[in-house]
Amino acid sequence: MASVHESLYFNPMMTNGVVHANVFGIKDWVTPYKISVLALLYEMTASKITLPERRRLNKLILPLQQGPDLTLGQFLQTVEECCPQTAYAVKLRLHEMADGELKDMEYFFSTLPTPFTAFDSEAYKTSVVGLFMRHMLLAYNKLSFSQVYKLYKSLQHYYHSHYAKPTDGQAGLPALVADDSEMDLTSTEDTVGDRIDKEELDTPLHESELRCRGPLSQKQAEYFLARQAYLLKNDENKALKPAALQEELNNMLKFNPDFAEAHYLNYLNSMRVQDIFLSAHSLLHYFDRLILSGSEGKSNGDEGYGRSLRYAALNLASLHCRFGHYQQADLALQEAIRIAQESNDHVCLQHCLSWLYTLEQMKGSDSTVLTEDSVKMAAHFCLPYLASLGIQSLVQQGATQGKTAHKLMDALKDTDILHWKHSLSELIEISLAQTTSIWRMYGKSTMALQQAQLLLNMSSLEPVNFGVQQNNTEAFTVALCHLAELHAEQGLYSAVSEILQHLKEQFPPHSQHAKLWMLCDLKIQFERHMNEGKYLLAEPLVTAISALNKTEGLYRKAQVLKALNRSTEAYNILQRLQVHCEKTKCTEMIIRVMLSTAELHWESSGFSTALPLLLQALALARQHHLQSLASETILHLAFTQLMLGVPEQALSVLHEAIEPVLAHGAIMDKGRALLLTARCQIAAAGFKLNGQGQADLRSAVFGVDTLNEAAAYFSKLNCKERLRDVYYLQAQLHRSLGQTSQSNKSAMLFRLLDQELQSPAPPVSMRL
Amino acid sequence: MKMAALCGEFGDLVQIKKQLISVISLCKERGLLHSAKWASELAFALDPLPKDELPPSAPFTEEDAQDLDALTLAKSYFDLKEYDRAAYFLKGCCSQKAYFLYMYSRYLSGEKKKDDETVDSLGPLEKGQVRNEALRELRVELSKKHNAGELDGFTLYLYGVVLRKLDLLKEAVDVFVEAIHALPLHWGAWLELSNLVTNIEMLKSLSLPDSWIKDFFMAHMYTELQMIKEALQKYQNLIEAGFSKSTYIISQIAVAYHNIRDIDQALALFNELRDQDPYRIDNMDTFSNLLYVKSMKPELSYLAHNLVEIDKYRVETCCVIGNYYSLRSQHEKAALYFQRALKLNPRCLGAWTLMGHEYMEMKNTSAAIQAYRHAIEVNKRDYRAWYGLGQTYEILKMPFYCLYYYRKAHQLRPNDSRMLVALGESYEKLSQQVEAKKCYWRAYSVGDVEKMALLKLAKLHEQLNESDDAAQCYMLYIQDIFSCGEQLEHAEVSTALRYLGQYYFKNKLYNEASLCAQRCCDYNDAREEGKALLRQISQVRDQIETPSADLFTPLSNSNTPVRRVSPLNLISFTP
Repeated sequence: MASVHESLYFNPMMTNGVVHANVFGIKDWVTPYKISVLALLYEMTASKITLPERRRLNKLILPLQQGPDLTLGQFLQTVEECCPQTAYAVKLRLHEMADGELKDMEYFFSTLPTPFTAFDSEAYKTSVVGLFMRHMLLAYNKLSFSQVYKLYKSLQHYYHSHYAKPTDGQAGLPALVADDSEMDLTSTEDTVGDRIDKEELDTPLHESELRCRGPLSQKQAEYFLARQAYLLKNDENKALKPAALQEELNNMLKFNPDFAEAHYLNYLNSMRVQDIFLSAHSLLHYFDRLILSGSEGKSNGDEGYGRSLRYAALNLASLHCRFGHYQQADLALQEAIRIAQESNDHVCLQHCLSWLYTLEQMKGSDSTVLTEDSVKMAAHFCLPYLASLGIQSLVQQGATQGKTAHKLMDALKDTDILHWKHSLSELIEISLAQTTSIWRMYGKSTMALQQAQLLLNMSSLEPVNFGVQQNNTEAFTVALCHLAELHAEQGLYSAVSEILQHLKEQFPPHSQHAKLWMLCDLKIQFERHMNEGKYLLAEPLVTAISALNKTEGLYRKAQVLKALNRSTEAYNILQRLQVHCEKTKCTEMIIRVMLSTAELHWESSGFSTALPLLLQALALARQHHLQSLASETILHLAFTQLMLGVPEQALSVLHEAIEPVLAHGAIMDKGRALLLTARCQIAAAGFKLNGQGQADLRSAVFGVDTLNEAAAYFSKLNCKERLRDVYYLQAQLHRSLGQTSQSNKSAMLFRLLDQELQSPAPPVSMRL
Repeated sequence: MKMAALCGEFGDLVQIKKQLISVISLCKERGLLHSAKWASELAFALDPLPKDELPPSAPFTEEDAQDLDALTLAKSYFDLKEYDRAAYFLKGCCSQKAYFLYMYSRYLSGEKKKDDETVDSLGPLEKGQVRNEALRELRVELSKKHNAGELDGFTLYLYGVVLRKLDLLKEAVDVFVEAIHALPLHWGAWLELSNLVTNIEMLKSLSLPDSWIKDFFMAHMYTELQMIKEALQKYQNLIEAGFSKSTYIISQIAVAYHNIRDIDQALALFNELRDQDPYRIDNMDTFSNLLYVKSMKPELSYLAHNLVEIDKYRVETCCVIGNYYSLRSQHEKAALYFQRALKLNPRCLGAWTLMGHEYMEMKNTSAAIQAYRHAIEVNKRDYRAWYGLGQTYEILKMPFYCLYYYRKAHQLRPNDSRMLVALGESYEKLSQQVEAKKCYWRAYSVGDVEKMALLKLAKLHEQLNESDDAAQCYMLYIQDIFSCGEQLEHAEVSTALRYLGQYYFKNKLYNEASLCAQRCCDYNDAREEGKALLRQISQVRDQIETPSADLFTPLSNSNTPVRRVSPLNLISFTP
C-alpha cells in the first residue's frame, strides 16, 4: 500500500526484492576472513618457517579454506597453535591494512603472488592454494568501487571488533555469548559496531531484537544445516532444542528465503515435535523450491525437476506414513509410483517399493511377497541399503511367522557382510538390535544379553561421530530396552532403574523413540507390582500402557482383572484379544492369551477344559520356536496334570521344561517351576497334605530341597504371596517328615507373612 | 435508527471538510504525500466552503518562527530527495514540525541507501544483510522521546513505521493506535495499522478513536479481511452520509465487488470511475482483471493504450498490459510485462500470481511454481496463488499432491466453488468418490460459479450406478443452467437430457421420457439418440396398448413404476 518510500522502488536489478547477486556468475566472494587466509598464505610463502611448523600449517590450509568463516580471534588462535611467529606476521599485515587506508588493501592484493607466473611456488595455478588465490583475485577484481570500499569497511570492522572485545565488558551481549558454541553461527559484525547505540539506550532491548543475529554466510548456513540434520538423525540430544532450532531457521529464512534446505530441516524439526501441519507445509515448500533450482536440467529426465517431483510425492507419502495416515500415504505413494514409472526411474521405483511394503506392514497386512520382490529388485539395481533393509524387514516378518531360526540368522549374517562391505553403520546397528530381539523372542536371554552388549559397546562408525560410543538411534533404544527388561527379569531393579535413567536422558520424552522406553518402563513396573501382589498399583499403569500399545494394554488389563478375581470381565477381554491377535498374526500374544485363558479355567476348576487350549498353545509355541513360551506352557500343562491327579505324568512333562527355564527364564519363572516341581514331587511321593497315608519319604526329601530353592527365588523378587505358599508347603512337609522344629519355623514364617498380607490366601491348588 | 445515528455523526460535513483541509496542509508540510493525496481526494468530493469558513492555518509558535528558514531550506532539499542534506540542516531545530522532518529525512535516507546497497552487495551472503542502518538509531531516539511523552501524532506514526521495519510488530501496533488517537485524521497511520491487523478478533480488540475516519478504516479492513458484505454496507453508509462523489469510495466498492466476483457491478463502477477521473491509474489493474474475465478485448486494449499514454512506468500499467497480452494469447509478452511490474515493485502481489498464470499457459510449470511461491511469500493469504500451485501440480498429474494446495485455497475462501470443484476433481482422480461427492455438493450449495459441480456430481453418481441420485443431479443441473439465463459454452444440457430420457424410460415414465427425448432433438450431438429413444417409447406404448394378458394382472409392488423423482416441468425450459 502507500508505504512511505514507494517512490524509491525503481531498481532494475531487483527481482523478488533482492538483487540476484550471482548475475555475474561469481561463486566465491571476498570476505575479511578470506583476506586473513590470504595473508596467512602470503606469509607462508614469504617467510622462513621451520619444517615442523610448516607441516602443521600445511595441514591447516585445507580446513581453513573450506570451513566456515571464523572470527579473527579464532583464526589467529588456530594459527598461533601451529606457528606463533606466522600468526604475529599475519596480525601485523592485517593491522597495516585495517589501520591504514583503502590503498593498503589494494596494495596487498597487488602484491599477492600471481598463480600464473609463480611456477615453482606452492601457489601454482593448479594447486589447491593457487586455485583459492585465483578465485579470490578474480572475485576481488570484479568488485565495483563501492563494493571494494564496503569490503574495506568490513575488514576494518573485522579487525577492530577482535580488539574491541576484551576491553568492552558489555559488548556483544547477544552474539558473543553464543560464540563459544562449536557451530560459530555468529558474525560479530553488527554487535560491536553499535556500541554507541547501546550506551545511549537505557530502555532494555526487546528480546526478539536481541536474538535477531546477523545472517550466516552460505557456507556457514550449509554447515549448520548439515550438522543439525545429522544430529537430528543420529543424536537428537545434541541437536538444538526444537524451539531454538526453529528460531534459528526462521532467522535464516528471513535473510535468505531461497535457501531450500532450511525448509527441509524445518520439516525434520516439525516432525520431531509431531507437528503435522508445519511439517507438511515445510516439506511442500522445500520441494517447490527444489523444483526451481533444478529447473535448468532436463525437464523430465533423470536429473532436473521431474526427478524432484517423484521424490516430493514419495516424501509426502513417508510423512503421512509417519503420522499414521495410511490411506493418505497410500495415495501419495501410488502417485510417486505412477510418476516414476512414467519416467522409467528404477531407483525411485525401488524406493517406492520399499515404502510400499513398509506401509503394508504398518497397516498390519502380510507383505512378504512385496518385500521379497523389493529385495530382488534392489539387488539388481545395486542398491545395497534398500536390499539389506528389505532383508531385515523379511527377517522380522519371518520371525513372527515362525521361520526356522537358522534361516533367519543366516539371512542376517549375509546382510551383515553386505553392511560391513559398504560400511552401512546404521544398518549394522539395526541388525544387532534385531538379533537381540530375535533371541529374546526365542527365549534365549543369554544370547540376547550378549548381542545387546555387543551393540552398546560398539563404537560409532559414522565419520562425524567417529569413536564416540553411542548414537541415539532407534536400534540403541531397542537394545537398551531389552537390556532393561532382561535385568528386570532377573530382579535386578536397581540396574533397571539406572538403564531407564540413561534412556530418559538420551531420549527425552518428546523425542521420536521415547515411546519405546516408556512402554518398557511401564511393563517392568507392571510386572513388578504384579509379582509383589500390589494389583491395585498395577491397575493405573494399564491405562498408560494401552495409550502406547493397545494390544499390550488389553492383555495387561485382563491380567489385572484376573488377579482381582473379576474373571468374567477378564475372560471377555481375553476372547476379544484372541480374535484380534489371530487377525494380526501376533503369535506371541496369542499364546499368552491362551495361557491366561487356561488359568481362568483353573479358577473354575475346569482343568480338563484347559488341557486342549494348553496343547494348542504348546504346538504354536514349538512351531514358532518360542522356547520361553513353550516352557511356560509346559509348566501350565504340568500343573493341570497335577491337579488332574497324575503327578507322575506332570513330573515327566516338567523335566522337559525345567532345564530351559533354569537356564534362560526369569526368576519368577524359575521359582514357579521349582515350586511346581516340589508339589509334584510331594504328590508323587504320595503325601496328602494333611499328613495321612503312606508316603515315600525318600522322594519327599527332594521336595524339601526344591522348596528351599524356590523360596530363595521368590524372596529375591519380594513375591510374598508365593513365599507364603512355599512356607505353608514346607511346614506341612516337615511335619509329615516328623521334623517338628523346622516345621514350626516354617509355620511361624507363614504366620508372619499371612498377617502382613492380610488378604486371605487363595487355595493353593488354584495357582501355578 | 442506525442510519440516523450515522447521519448525525456525519451531519457536519462542513466540519469534516475543515478538518480535512487543515490536515492536508499539515501532511504537505511534512512531506507525507500519500496521506495528503488521500485527504485531498476526499476533500474534493465534498462541497467547497465559502471563503470565511475556511479554517485558519495552524498556529505559528515562537519555535516555528525560529526554525522557519532551516525548515524551508530542508524541505526543498527533501523534495529533491536529498535526504541527508535535509537532515543536516534540520539538526538542532526544536519545533515539532522540524523534528519530524529531521527524523523522516533520516529514515528515508536509510531506506534509499538500503535500496542502493542491494545492487552493490558483496555477495549472496549479504543478500539479506542489507538493511536500513538508520532504523536502530531512530528507534533509540524515538523511544526515548516516546517514553518522555514528547511525540506528536506524526512522529508517533514515524516511530511505528520504524518499529514495523524492525519487525517489532506488537509494539508497532500499539504505537500506531497511539498515533491515531493523537491525530485521527492522518490516513497513513490507519493504513499502516491495517497492514498489521491479521484477523477480525484482533481488529475488535483494538481501541480506536471515535471519529468519522474510523468508518473508512473499518470498511477498508473488512475488504482486506474478505468480509465483503460488511465492507459494502459500510461504504454504502458513507455514500449516503455525503461522500457520494468520492472516487476513493467508488474504487473501493468496485474492488469489493471484484472480490466477490460480482463482475457486472464492478465493471459499471469502474466505468463510472473512469468517467470521473480519466487519468487515474490506481486500481486500474483490478479493472483490467475484470475486463479479462469478461474477455472484453476492445475495452481492455483501449484501457491499456490509455494508461500507457498517461504513465507507462507504473505497476498498474504494466499489469494492465500484461493482461492485455494474455487475453491475446501472447503469453511470453504478458509474462515480460508482469516481470516489469515486479521490477517496479517486488511486493506487488497480483503481478506474481498473474505471472504464474502466464507461465502456466506457456506450460513452464517450474517457473509458474516459482512465481506462485513468491506470491505466497508476499502474502500468505493469497488464495489465487495457492489455487495456482494446485493447478500446476494437477497439470503435472499429481492429484494427491495438489490436494494440499487446493485445501489451503479452500481454507482461505471457504465459500468459493472453484476450489471445491478442483478439490472434487482431485478426489475423483484418486477414486475417493465419497469425498468427491461431498466436494461437488458443497460447491453447488455455496453457489457454483461455473455451473460444473452438478454435472460432475451427476456423472459421478452415474459411474457409481446410483441412477436416482444421478437423475436428481441432472435435473437440478438443467434447472440451474436455464435459470441463470445466459448461454454457457461448456453446458452439457444434452448429456443431462439424454440420461434423464433413458432414466425415465427405464422407470417406465414414458411421458417424461418422451419429453426429454424431444428436447434432446434440439441438440446436434444428441439428436440421433433422442430420436431412437422416441421410437423405443412409441414401440413400448404400442405394446402396452395392444391388449395382452399382462394388462389384467393385478398391479403389484414389483411392476408399479416407482416414481422416486418428480417429473420435470420441461415446458418452462427454453433452450
